Amino acid sequence: MDILIYGIINSFSLALMAIGFTLVYGISRIPNFAHGALYVITGFLVWSLVHLLKLNYVVSIILALLIMGLVGAAIYRFVLIRVRGMATSEIIATYALGLAVLEFLRWGGFKGMTYTLPVFIEGSIVIGGIPVDLQRVIVIAIGIVVVTFMWLFTHFNKIGLALRGMAQDEHAAMMLGIDSDRMAVIAMAMGSMLAGIAAITLLPLGNIVVEAGYNVLILSIAVCIVGGLGSWVGAILAAFMIGFLQIITVAYIQSHFHMVVALLVIIATLILKPSGLFGRQKELEERV
Amino acid sequence: MLEIKNLMVFYENAIAINNINMKCQAEKVTGIFGANSAGKSTLMYTISGIILDVKKKEEMKGGERITVLGNITFEGMDITWMKPSERAKKGIVLCPERRRIFAESSALENLKIGGYLATKVQAKKTLEYVFSIFPALVKLKGREGGFLSGGEQQMLAIGRALMAQPKMLLLDEPLLGLSPLMEAMLARAIRNINQQTRIAILISEQYARPILPIIHHGYILENGGAVLEGNSRELMENPDVKSAYFGL
Repeated sequence: MDILIYGIINSFSLALMAIGFTLVYGISRIPNFAHGALYVITGFLVWSLVHLLKLNYVVSIILALLIMGLVGAAIYRFVLIRVRGMATSEIIATYALGLAVLEFLRWGGFKGMTYTLPVFIEGSIVIGGIPVDLQRVIVIAIGIVVVTFMWLFTHFNKIGLALRGMAQDEHAAMMLGIDSDRMAVIAMAMGSMLAGIAAITLLPLGNIVVEAGYNVLILSIAVCIVGGLGSWVGAILAAFMIGFLQIITVAYIQSHFHMVVALLVIIATLILKPSGLFGRQKELEERV
Repeated sequence: MLEIKNLMVFYENAIAINNINMKCQAEKVTGIFGANSAGKSTLMYTISGIILDVKKKEEMKGGERITVLGNITFEGMDITWMKPSERAKKGIVLCPERRRIFAESSALENLKIGGYLATKVQAKKTLEYVFSIFPALVKLKGREGGFLSGGEQQMLAIGRALMAQPKMLLLDEPLLGLSPLMEAMLARAIRNINQQTRIAILISEQYARPILPIIHHGYILENGGAVLEGNSRELMENPDVKSAYFGL
């Protein structure tokens, strides 16, 4: 029972982390290796707004998310636009950016146990005999809200539909008047905000540490590779797969192996089915 | 409406478009005919601006060098170096070769994505119009683009392009790989679109027989250059065209 409950919680955490990465990759084919850094920045940003500027928690969150949106857009506008279309350079540029930000934060003294975000609501409830604190329930709730919102956005909103068009065939979308750079800016801004939402939801469960940036990046990549790069349905399924595998590993093997699971799953996927669970379309293209 | 002057396009040192001069009149159907590798698709990509994006990406990768020379003017404005999305906003919308349907989106979503530039009212009106000229699409609304047959995809691609509210519709080989029945149906639909909406159409095709009767003016392309031009009747009666395209 606890495996089921914590598995679901862990899966939603992974889905939240990965959805921003998938969005950006799916639309602009940019592997955003600064994703983990964006996640950590949001944490410190909210912390700073709350503790240094003494702002209200909710106000800080909203402000931080808006700033993250701008940061994402700026990263595309000023950095990525110059290396667009060269996959290796995109990886190097985003990874360098993420590395610089994270190590700068470490150098700036943002480390240790002192940086925590308050939980949204104190307390815990008992589900099927297992006590679960409310923040973890909120993780599930926000996970569901984010996934539903993204689904509605990409199926019924004009910009969401345009993003999907761009993701499937860039040139065909251009012919219809959809601007590639503008869509990529929107995707980066949304991706950063999603990283921010993940950070704000998940960080109150522990400390804000720089290392989380690397972990989040690895987990996001694992989810995306298993799910099939750029496929959103695949990413969510993969989040559940990896989420449960991790919890099962923790329960039956040893808890410090749980990070190994993500990496093993990447390797297994690349050997058995390189296009991932839902990379069907891409698999066909690769064959041709 | 659209005027092309001394247009030349090179891929590295190979010439794809060789000094083409042509004009498309407003509200008229203009045809471009030529065999494989005559430069039809390159011409279409140059008019719609996609070639600039390809060029930019190739430059970034250090790949093939693409050179564009000459002028394209649309409604009196030089658009030679304008971004493809800006051209679409001006009204030049391309329905590309091999259709390039969004395979993972449903037919209706394809049309909706096409309506990115349209206002809500325009989108609704055009959607109704598309379903009225291609009634077959109504039943296929919910089906994924990738699961449609070639003819269905072509109807969808034309519909999608219409959704973008074009003033000038570019159709690149719309009859490619279709059955004779579908060819005739599409040729009729294209003529109807032109007559009902007054949208200017530029259509390229290597199989000229079903298209020649519906054009007002046409050009024959050979090895990247325009070797012959004339109206529908002139082209059909030209002995060279007859032997090359009708096998007479």
